[in-house]
Amino acid sequence: MSEAVNHFPLPAAGADSASAAPETTPRSPRVLTARSLFFISWTAPLVLLLAWEALARAGVLSPQVLPAPSKVLQTALNLIAQGRLLSDLGASLLRAAAGFAIGGSIGFVLGTLVGFSRLAEALVDRSVQMVRAVPFLAALPLVIVWFGVGEGGKVFLVSLGVLFPIYINTVLGIRQVDPKLLELGRVTGLSNWTLIRRIVLPGALPSILAGVRYALAVAWLALVIAETIAANTGIGSLAMDAREFLQTDVIVLTIVIYAGIGVVSDGIARLLERRLLAWHPNYAAKGK
Amino acid sequence: MMSETLHDRHTAHPATADELAVSVAGLKRRYGQRTVIQGLNLRIARGEFVALLGESGCGKTTLLRALAGLDPIDGGRIDGPAQPAVVFQEPRLIPWDPLWRNVSLGLDDRRGKPLAQAALEEVGLGDRLDDWPRNLSGGQAQRVALARALVREPRLLLLDEPFAALDALTRIRMHALVRQLLARHRPGVLLVTHDVDEAIVLADRILVMREGAIANDVRVAPEAAHDRSHPAAQALRAQLLAELGVVAAQAA
Repeated sequence: MSEAVNHFPLPAAGADSASAAPETTPRSPRVLTARSLFFISWTAPLVLLLAWEALARAGVLSPQVLPAPSKVLQTALNLIAQGRLLSDLGASLLRAAAGFAIGGSIGFVLGTLVGFSRLAEALVDRSVQMVRAVPFLAALPLVIVWFGVGEGGKVFLVSLGVLFPIYINTVLGIRQVDPKLLELGRVTGLSNWTLIRRIVLPGALPSILAGVRYALAVAWLALVIAETIAANTGIGSLAMDAREFLQTDVIVLTIVIYAGIGVVSDGIARLLERRLLAWHPNYAAKGK
Repeated sequence: MMSETLHDRHTAHPATADELAVSVAGLKRRYGQRTVIQGLNLRIARGEFVALLGESGCGKTTLLRALAGLDPIDGGRIDGPAQPAVVFQEPRLIPWDPLWRNVSLGLDDRRGKPLAQAALEEVGLGDRLDDWPRNLSGGQAQRVALARALVREPRLLLLDEPFAALDALTRIRMHALVRQLLARHRPGVLLVTHDVDEAIVLADRILVMREGAIANDVRVAPEAAHDRSHPAAQALRAQLLAELGVVAAQAA
């Protein structure tokens, strides 16, 4: 059983509740079937979108305040045609990936060491916990002083945000590995390395993956902030340029893109969980 | 499912030096100030099934853990295999490995898979190679644990109340399976159990442990093992229960 530790008060990803298929309830013949509930759950946001479009076209919503969805889509196509949108998207994805890889690796390695060794815990854990107590976004002015508006600062900020959830969930996961399985490994004569590879890390994986999923959300948050403050490329800089010229449609577009990336990365994390935790009753694909 | 074809299990095996599965001399084990095992001697021959009875806290499990190499010893010596196989009370299957990888744990995959397949077939689970442990019943899981213990052809097999958590019917089937498997693989076996009847049915020799030492060492007559209503079985049962501090009339 994994226990995700939430390190920062982020709202839960909206995708969770929406995609959890409702259970069929055969109690009463009049209640809605799972299929119709699923249909309704998608119809409702669609109706909202259509209402937004209608209100914008009727002129009730000023384009300065909230442009119509169709206008946002048109803007997206124009920006792609100009070659700006995809390169900005690429720059943002690259930063997020680099920051995630760096922060995630450091968090995983430190977490693994601390999970295994009381000495490493004594050396590392208190310091990490102290740094963790600082809301990482509070370090932003310092990061700008250190790195200026270059790539380094943004990658650093993402790494910092990603490090802690991965670290804590790795430590927790390793500590929660069933001691009876460790004992089994010993009577089977496993080497330390085999013990880690076959029993400790797989046992810690549910917790580590929960950390990864949470860290993905943090990575995007860090990136939005960093790119909004100081950047010449990336989705955030696109939004800031648009603000200068009051291009509300571009601003809305960037928000939608951030949301879309969040949904996609969460989906990837969930796919990983389903693939890697197929043995686990809580994650197993339905029907097995 | 498993036929009872075991006639040879009670053949006596004289314990010559290289036929010994394990030999314990003057074993001591302390927890802090408390001495749990004091000068214990024990010899188990290959192919011999020894059951160890005793009240809770008499040191049975401590002895088994010392033999398994899980706990250090404070005196005496144990001459036996460095890596005896152990089956615990719980199956202790690795939930993220399919059954065959559970059985082949510690062997490399290329060599291990055919061995695991053969071992799973022996315990009647040959068609469940790629299944997950969570899909097994308690009895099936314990059969996988047995397969895992036997796949390495151990010289010494340690059983720590492996049937205690199973229902009565499953336990009877497991007894039959265990006899069948051991007749084929012939390790020396030490079974720690609370169950006098189980000891009589399975063992060649029953040890009663009291206050950290072997208090009695009884050989089980073949007719007692085969028929639990045989007078020899009933007499043995009454004797063992009395030694364990239970009055036979109460228990019956």
